[in-house]
Amino acid sequence: MPDAIVFETDRHLKWRALDGLERALMAACGLCLLGFTLAELGDVLGRMLHHPLASAQEFSSGFFIWGIFLGGAVAVRRDTNFRIGAISDKWTGTPRLVAELVKRAVMLAVAVVLTVFGYLNFLHGFGSFMAPSETPIAVLYAAIPVSGLLIAIFVIEGLICGLRNGFAGELTDVERAVAASTATDQPIA
Amino acid sequence: MTGNSGVAILVMAAIAVLLGYLGVPVAFALMASVFVVVVLFTHISLASIVGQLFNGVNTLTLLAVPFFLLVGELMVSANITIRIVNFAQALVGHLRSGLAQVVSVFSLFFAGISGSSTADVVAISTVLMPEMKREGYDPAFTAALIASASTIANMVPPSILAVVYGSVGNVSIGGLFLAGATPGVMVALGLMIYSYYFGPVGIRKGRATFVDLAVAFKAAALPLLIPFIIVGGILTGQFTPVEAGMVAILYVILVLLPLHSRGHFKRLPHSFMHAGALYALPLMAVASASAFGWVLAYLRGPDVVSGWIEHAAGHNGIAIMFLIVLILVIVGDFLEGIPAIIIFMPLILELVKLGHIQPVHMGVVIIVTLAFGNITPPYGLQLLLASSLAKVAWSRALVACLPLYAIFFIVIALIIVIPDLTLWLPRWLFPQSLGCFTNPMTHVLTCPQS
Repeated sequence: MPDAIVFETDRHLKWRALDGLERALMAACGLCLLGFTLAELGDVLGRMLHHPLASAQEFSSGFFIWGIFLGGAVAVRRDTNFRIGAISDKWTGTPRLVAELVKRAVMLAVAVVLTVFGYLNFLHGFGSFMAPSETPIAVLYAAIPVSGLLIAIFVIEGLICGLRNGFAGELTDVERAVAASTATDQPIA
Repeated sequence: MTGNSGVAILVMAAIAVLLGYLGVPVAFALMASVFVVVVLFTHISLASIVGQLFNGVNTLTLLAVPFFLLVGELMVSANITIRIVNFAQALVGHLRSGLAQVVSVFSLFFAGISGSSTADVVAISTVLMPEMKREGYDPAFTAALIASASTIANMVPPSILAVVYGSVGNVSIGGLFLAGATPGVMVALGLMIYSYYFGPVGIRKGRATFVDLAVAFKAAALPLLIPFIIVGGILTGQFTPVEAGMVAILYVILVLLPLHSRGHFKRLPHSFMHAGALYALPLMAVASASAFGWVLAYLRGPDVVSGWIEHAAGHNGIAIMFLIVLILVIVGDFLEGIPAIIIFMPLILELVKLGHIQPVHMGVVIIVTLAFGNITPPYGLQLLLASSLAKVAWSRALVACLPLYAIFFIVIALIIVIPDLTLWLPRWLFPQSLGCFTNPMTHVLTCPQS
């Protein structure tokens, strides 16, 4: 597998300034995976040694949930979220522009809902607690508004760059599906 | 269902499909359709729906998904899979259409390790595609065969679809793992038989000697232990499916990498990052599909569809399963397997009750049907992937794949009509997964009739 962490395809739809954020989010995804792997390991070892780690499952849940929503956000910039083959990818001119604007407007609207209502849930989350550590569940709920905010940033980045440089992507439908299913935009073979 | 609910369901489905075809990612298309319908047709707050996204993935059983994806990623990136390919070659490489036989046998073995059909396609394509090209195999046939064989990963343990199905439907994941093994073997055999009679001849090779076979087996033995660790750990009650996934990762990192691919350690952070980014994709779809399914259930959609199915099939379990397969074959063409399971779970649970169907049996039928969706247009992800790697037009790979569809139809029909084909293994090794229990007075195993 190739080493590249930041996707280089569709560079005309991205700002170099946000490459660091993509790299940091990828590292966070890896750390989340490592985190809940270790938490599960601690859980099993603790049980085998008759000293169960009461909070292991809370750590597992925390890393798992944060990993999903951070990974979902970074996938917006890498354009690796699952998609049905887009008919609009074959369009050119004004129809393509309209389709791209609608697509990004929808994603931005979803991101705003996730941020605003996710934040409300986060505030309510201080009233509920995870057992046995009594940590407010808001710690987990926070992943959704953070993800919404990151998605909004990446959608706006694509929108502005696309309006300046054009939306036509470098990848075909098939190549995009490959990138989505392997989390890499580099040649595999 | 009121007329208003019917309109709401239609609007929700139409928005999701329309946005999907406009290029909006599936997770966002589902979320947008849910948000619109909730605001226009219900009194549910958007905060509740966003909470439902959270609830959809706040299930510890789903932790097995990233673990099995990481095992696949490590096996492929550390190039350990070559040992399994060599063993498959020693076993069946001498048969007619030898490399095609190797693809089927390898996929069956690898499916027992990773649970990800994508990892399977990548692994087999990097190793065998160049060789198949040299031997004159039509790239379209190669892509079709590799894609079809990769679907076995969704059937045999540790299948990610089985983890999601068991987790959401409250069905024994161990039972689903065992019950899925037979259809996986049937598909592999079907592909081998098809390749033998209708595939390219390839270059005939001599049968491997016993010594060659023993050497190849010795080299592949440690990777091939993974399915036994996973399934054995679950069946003996040592691990939950999640813990089994974690143990499999430890086994790869602590045993396989030091022995077979020591140089890979410095790339371990990359493997974690890639797998970390990969697992978020299906689980974002799970989160959004969970909200979609929840609103669908709120609007009483499953009741209506189960009413239609009851009208057409009565309480006949077999007829009900054929109808749900028909629906899922159509839906599976447009929707990835994991969100399809989540969205349709309320309906599936209704149908299980309606037809008195054994839940594990229903689960395996659904999983095999959705696995088939990986090679049907327009969203046949594995066919897209394999055709891209074989550098052949997707349309040509699709034409080459059409005869292979017959194998899936036959397997699905057989496992519906003969439940014992899937249930014999869990009944033998893990009867508790089918609801069987040992009567404390008579010590006789009693199983529910379905």
